[in-house]
Amino acid sequence: MNVARNEWAAALCALPASEVKHLANVLSGELEVRDVALPHAGLGLLNLRDGAFEESYFIGEIPVARAEVIVRTAGGIEERGGALIVDDRAQFARSIAILDAVMAGKLPGSVPAMTLVQRGMEVRQQKQIERKKLLTATRVDFSLLGQEDDEDEQ
Amino acid sequence: MSYVAIKGGKAAIDGAAATTDYLRCKGSLNEPLTLAMIEEQLRLLTSRVVSEGGLYHPRLAALALKQFQGDTLEAAFALRAYRSTKPRLLETPVQDTANMRCIRRISSAFKEVPGGQYLGATYDYALRLLQLDLANEDPEAFKAVAQSFLQDTPDSEVPDNFPKVIDALRAEGLLPPVAPSRAAAFDITRDPLVFPVPRSAALATMARAETGGLLAMAYSNMRGYGDVHPTVAELRVGYLPVMLPHPVTGELMEAGEVLVTECEVVAMYEGTNGDELPTFTLGYGACFGHNEVKAISMAILDRALQKGMQDGPTNPSEDPEFVLLHVDGVDSMGFASHYKMPHYVTFQSDMDRLRTTQQKIKEQDTEETA
Repeated sequence: MNVARNEWAAALCALPASEVKHLANVLSGELEVRDVALPHAGLGLLNLRDGAFEESYFIGEIPVARAEVIVRTAGGIEERGGALIVDDRAQFARSIAILDAVMAGKLPGSVPAMTLVQRGMEVRQQKQIERKKLLTATRVDFSLLGQEDDEDEQ
Repeated sequence: MSYVAIKGGKAAIDGAAATTDYLRCKGSLNEPLTLAMIEEQLRLLTSRVVSEGGLYHPRLAALALKQFQGDTLEAAFALRAYRSTKPRLLETPVQDTANMRCIRRISSAFKEVPGGQYLGATYDYALRLLQLDLANEDPEAFKAVAQSFLQDTPDSEVPDNFPKVIDALRAEGLLPPVAPSRAAAFDITRDPLVFPVPRSAALATMARAETGGLLAMAYSNMRGYGDVHPTVAELRVGYLPVMLPHPVTGELMEAGEVLVTECEVVAMYEGTNGDELPTFTLGYGACFGHNEVKAISMAILDRALQKGMQDGPTNPSEDPEFVLLHVDGVDSMGFASHYKMPHYVTFQSDMDRLRTTQQKIKEQDTEETA
């Protein structure tokens, strides 16, 4: 499964944070990781387009965590990675940023990182299947009501 | 209004906190509520708190509900207090709710809509009879409910996203044209409401309003203090992917998702003065979480406020100042609760004035009698 970079973070967020952090810690022991900026967590103002007149407004706030790192191999190859996620755990964002850099640069560790991403994609897919079952089980066609009424009257 | 500094209450205040916690923990159960229990099994309660607190953090909303023992107003207050301690890192790009991953989608305007209608999880067609077997629910049976639902419901080719119902009406020329404002959205967390306010301020205020307060205002319009007469063009509940720029590439990526309820109502059409054809009017409501009454109430009030801003209010629900300054749960609860605080100075003053007035009247009566 080839997963685009803009889906990596969402996939990793679908997994238990401990698994992502564990792999990032292991890779941090083998690679040099520098923070471009300190990982931080805070809030983001969520801007929505209203469905009636397409004007933008703020529905409320969401937690956001952000991290950006540079990962360098022993051979001197560098790659920049980042994460910006709807979450309040800055260190979780940093772990994702490390994996993001490793996978983007195909650095050592990119295979297990991509395996994690693929597992995350499967979790997301399963969640979406479950949500669709909520719809499947409740599909309604009110246009049949008139016919039903007619039958009842007979 | 003035207050008096008091002393000597610290032990009692500490005792009140201990007493409150005692009542939370006493009883026949030794098991505390877990946050997951609250978040998952009392999901609609959690939804109220995330929307009224104005912060989409279901786990903290569950914690607040646990801490304040089910009081939604206090829980929303705590969530707002929490958010006030956090730095603002960003404003998201404008998110399009057409991307919502729906778990419920209905229209009361049409029998059938493009993409189909799905009741999803709802009590709309349920009898309001107590389900007595839930009183002593067997844990195994509890688990089996979820398992069997997933097993018994077939997979199907339901689309990921659905078109907006009002798009079809708009394409037919039955709705006013879209003329999106280029003005930046109003941030009610940073700027006070100084009337007149832009519509984005009204929407933001109502999105985090207290459900009951918003419903009461909208209900006044429904009953006759107003004439919106809405039809729900579309009500949808679902998970909206939050798209943020990747810190390195700048490309938009899914950073997470939030559960949102959204409603568009079509209201009575308006005549025009010129050559333009009359069109239906529109109202819009949305909030965090699953809270349909709130979204519908907000949509009705949005339409009522548009009318009030255009023609001048003729009913309370059309008056932006009246509506927007009275629907916030934390504001109104705070004002009501503050009356419980010591008001010794003001009340002493009231008593002094009353005694003096009574004394003067008695003296006048005495002089007139003499």
